[in-house]
Order: sequence, then C-alpha cells, then structure tokens
Amino acid sequence: MAEIQLRNLSKRWGSFIGVNNFDLTIADQEFLVLLGPSGCGKTTTMRMIAGLEDATEGEIWIGDRQVNDLDPKDRDVAMVFQSYGLYPHLNVYENIRFPLKVRKADPATHDERVMKAAEMVELTEFLHRKPAELSGGQRQRVALARAIVRKPSVFLMDEPLSNLDAKLRVSTRAQIKNLSHELKVTTVYVTHDQIEAMTLADRVVVMKAGVVQQVGTPTDIYDNPANTFVASFIGSPAMNLMDGDLRDGTFTGKNVEITGLNGADGPVTLGFRAEDASVAEAGTSGAVNAPLYTIELLGDATMLTVRAGGQMVSVKAHKEYRAGIGDPVSLAIPAAICHLFDRTTGARIAA
Amino acid sequence: MKFKTFAAFVGPSLFMMLVFIALPLVSVFTQSFYNTQPVFEQVEIESCTPGFPDPVCVTRTETKPILGEDGKILTQTRFTGLESYRNVLELGRVKDALANGSWRQLMAIDFWKALRFTLTFTLLTLPLVVVVGLAIALAVNNAAKSLRGPVIFISLLPFIITPVIGALSIRWLFIGDGILTSFLEWWLAQDIAMFAQGWTIELMMLFYRVWHVAPFAFVIFYAGLQTVNQDTLESAIIDGANRWERLRYVIVPHLMPLIVFVALIHLMDCYRVFEEIVGFSSQSHVISLQWLTYDFLTPDDAGNRSIGRASASAMLTMIGIVVLLIPLLTRTWRDHKGSH
Repeated sequence: MAEIQLRNLSKRWGSFIGVNNFDLTIADQEFLVLLGPSGCGKTTTMRMIAGLEDATEGEIWIGDRQVNDLDPKDRDVAMVFQSYGLYPHLNVYENIRFPLKVRKADPATHDERVMKAAEMVELTEFLHRKPAELSGGQRQRVALARAIVRKPSVFLMDEPLSNLDAKLRVSTRAQIKNLSHELKVTTVYVTHDQIEAMTLADRVVVMKAGVVQQVGTPTDIYDNPANTFVASFIGSPAMNLMDGDLRDGTFTGKNVEITGLNGADGPVTLGFRAEDASVAEAGTSGAVNAPLYTIELLGDATMLTVRAGGQMVSVKAHKEYRAGIGDPVSLAIPAAICHLFDRTTGARIAA
Repeated sequence: MKFKTFAAFVGPSLFMMLVFIALPLVSVFTQSFYNTQPVFEQVEIESCTPGFPDPVCVTRTETKPILGEDGKILTQTRFTGLESYRNVLELGRVKDALANGSWRQLMAIDFWKALRFTLTFTLLTLPLVVVVGLAIALAVNNAAKSLRGPVIFISLLPFIITPVIGALSIRWLFIGDGILTSFLEWWLAQDIAMFAQGWTIELMMLFYRVWHVAPFAFVIFYAGLQTVNQDTLESAIIDGANRWERLRYVIVPHLMPLIVFVALIHLMDCYRVFEEIVGFSSQSHVISLQWLTYDFLTPDDAGNRSIGRASASAMLTMIGIVVLLIPLLTRTWRDHKGSH
C-alpha cells in the first residue's frame, strides 16, 4: 500500500531537459497512466520512480519513505518492460521465481507463490517452457507474473503492450485492467497509445517535451482538454481544430462560420469532436460549407472530411451516408460542442 | 541459392582446403606408418700395414650407407605399421614405470613428459584466459566512454606482440641478471633463480600465455557485452539481483556461446604450445608435444630426420586436441539442435 509523491521532479542531461518540474501525488491503489508522444519524458519519469535513472532535482516519495537515494531493489517496485526483459535461459517457472530467489525469500513459500502468480495470468501449462518457445502475449504475461509474484507496493509498466499485435493488445489490456483491480496495487503505466490510456486509467497525465500538459480522469481530458496539444492527442480521430477569428460571438474562418459563442474578440482556435457534429439537414445551411475532400466508410459510421479553417475537418455521418469526392457538403456544428483555444499559446479559453 | 552459384562460391575455398589441409593431413597420416632409413651395406675392408715378409692384413666388416650415383646416401622407405607409434609412446617403459609406481620414471619418457606439460598448461590457462578476458571486458564496458579507447588499445597490446618476442621479453625480465630478478633479489634479499627448476619456468609460461591470449577473449566478450538485452539487465536490477547475480544469471548465460567459442579456439591453440618452449629455452626442464614433433624433425648428427616418429607424434597431438574438444562440440551441437 503506497502513495507515490513526485515533488518538483526534474531530469536534465546537460542542457537537454528530459522532465521539467513534475509535481504529482499518485494515490494509493490508483492506476495512473503517463501519456505522450515519444520523447515527452514519460518513460524517464517512470525510470526515475524505479531508480534506473537519477533525478536531477526534486524528491520521490513512495509511501512514507523518500527513495531518491535508494537502490532500485530497495524501493519495493516491480516493473514490466516493453520487450519483456525475461531471462532467456530460464524456463517460465524460474523466470517467475527469480525475484523470490535473489531476494532470499523463504524457499518453502516459493512454489506456492509462483503457482499463484502463474494462475493469475493463466500460464500454468507453460511453466516448463523457455521464453523463446512462447508467443509475445505469453511472454508479456510471464513478465506480469514475475512482477506480481513478490507483491510489491508499486507496479511500473513501460509500454507493455507495444510489442503485441492489435488483437492481443486488446485482450492483454483487459487482463491488465482486471489484474490491477484484483491486486489493488498503485500502478504507473506509460504509453503513447491514447486508447490504452482511456481504457485503463483512473487518471491520465498528458506530457509533452518534458512538461505536464494536463492531469485528469479520462473523461476530463477527453471532454475538457486543457490545450490544443491534449485536444489533438486524445481521441480517435483527434479533435478537429480550426483557425479563425472570433468577433461578437461569431467564429469565422475559411469556409466556416459558427455563431452563438462566448469569448473575447480576437484570433482563436476552435475545436470540436467529429462525433458531436453532423451533416446539416437537407435544405438548411450548416456552419461549414465546403467541397468534400474525402469520404471513409468505417462500418458503424461514415467519416466525411473537408477543408475548413486552414485544417482538415472530419465529421461522423450516418453509416448510410454516401457522397462523391468534390460534392459540396454542409456540416452542422452547434456552438455547444465547441471548445475555444488561444491561437498563440494553445491554452483553453474558459467558456 | 542455385547449386551452381553455391559451388562457384564454395568451390575455390574447398579446393584450397583440400590441397593445403586435407592432403598434408593424409600425407602425415600415411607417413606415420612408414619409416625412411638410409640403406646400409656390410663392406669387408681389408687394411694392410707394411710388414715383413708379408704385409699384415686385417679384414673388418663395416656398415656403410650406400651412396647413389649422384653421391647422395640412398634411402629406402619401409612400411612399419605402428612401430613409430610404439617408439613414441614407449609403452614398455610406461608399463615398468607404472609397475614401480614411479612418477619420476614415467616423466623420464619424452612423450609422457610432453603430454603432462601440454595438458596442465592447456587446462590451467583455459579458465584463467576466460576469467581474465571477461574481467577486462566488464571493466572496459563499465569504464567511462572517454577512457574506453585507450584502455582497449592497451589491453590489446599483448595480443599484437609477436609470440616469440613476448616470451623472450618476459624471459629477459626474469633471467639471472634481468631487471625484475635483480630488483626482487634486492628487495627480498635472497637469491632467485627462475630458470633453475621446471615449475618456476612453467609458472612464467602460464603467466605469459594468459597475458598473451586474454586480450583475444576480451575482444570477443566485449563485443558480446554490447548485445546484452538492457531490459533483461534492468529487470534483474529491479528484481533485486546484485552485481554478481546479474553477471551469473544474465550476462554469463548470454555470453555462453562466445565462452564456448573462446574455449574451443584456446584449446586448439594451446594444445599446440611451442613458442613458450623456444622463448623460455625450457627444453631441459619442460617440453610440449608440438616441440617433441619439432625435435623429431630436427636432423640428428648423421643428418637423419625421424619423419615417421614425427608424424606419429603429430597424429597423437591431433587426437589429443579432438578428445579435448569433444565435450565442447557436443554441447554446441546440443544447443544447436535445441534451438530448432
């Protein structure tokens, strides 16, 4: 049982800033996801928690201990790596038992604990196999079992699903979620996949270039992105962002005019989600009027894309909707679904 | 690949291997069953000294080599079967020595003396070379980046030096009035004679060989260390393994194929130890199998070379190498099959 506190944590290599002033308290039993594009400092943050990387500045507390100067093995954390990090010459059983063995846990308990961990990840039939004889998903489950066998106070997972194929990713993701629910251990999970973040997290931390952009529940960051970066990173497809000018509550840009907005006059970026907007009903004129750039059939919906406000703008239409490329379309974008951002800083403008 | 292309690429090297490796081997093998000797004839020589009334004449029979028309000694080659092997192994004397339980007596026989040294030399240097090579590789791998270049260069130096020169330089350090001997004598205030007894010479030879070959092991292991899976290493750190356990459970298993490779090369190389005997002039105390073969090939006072015995000793050396390699080769074969 441990709460993790990161107090003004920074990591610099010379003049390069890896993580800048990261300040966060991760509650006990919370599942926290660090999300961001590669190079944003999310893995560095995790490695500092694990002790594989020294913090340049700031404090790391796990439970009631400051762990900055402790060796990784003394921090009571377990970590799962992207490329599994298994011991190739040991079989599955010995791989799972390894932490118990090197930590000199009572040998009498080894078998029971290994079997229990193996059961939780459904590996009992593969215990005698070498890692090379397992599939990617099975290997990652061995890594999970090795992490849980010791009952650490913190789990760290560094893109554990990135090496798996799409189908396996979904099932292993479900397994991780279930496992974390069952074990009730504080978990920090690093990923660049926003769907993983949305599905797994209690709270998400979105990072960019070493700086935290937003911390919040998945719903929070989806519904109220703090800036254009978060807006364009979360969601599939990402939020549509159009550049234009706001004057007396009316947003105007190339091919677009939306009325009924609140906000100070000036250049802004307007964002809305594809699924919130729709095609304007026949005979009425919507906010965006432009020739169709492309039409994509998704099965459950049809995605229409037009150029507006200097950007590509996508809108989800009914799955039966059909049109040719170049046909004029009109899109209805009610003011209620719109988010306004500062054009220069990208920061959200409170409605 | 098409067979024709394959043959075109492999053919020339196969041909070379046939001409320069297989044929000489076959030739040595057959020569070990033959013996070439000068042809002798018994000549009756009557020598007379002047006397009275008749000269005093003595008739002696002498064995003389027959000279051919060109004035050279005629030789003849006979099939002798295993005689050369018997002459090298001297099993009769071995039996006597064993019956008496006398180690000293056994060590008086050249072949067994050479075998004893060759085996101890090979088997003692093998673990030392592997351990020292691995230690240097780990040290260099953990050294600061700016230090690595110079450290690699310095640790490779012994490997670059010509073996005979290297051996000689160590010999000159320790010889009667060498720098190190003089220093040690002054420091310890006692006489030191490193070349007066066999075991000190052997120690120096061991030291020299490890010093000379460890860089080779180092280079191989250092290359291997670059491919250790960092995730596995970090997993081990977090799992709680200390340095020693990381070495034992992650690094050494990863390097195992390379360790086997270095061991194979070293065994083959070391079993044919020769330069040390020459460099340290240790013939009167310690000889090796390879040196024994060389000695058989050196013409004796009458200008004869014992090609038959040399071939036999060479064949025995080769058999020795094969026997030593079998455990390593079976291991490699098992791993190879296991990985499929």
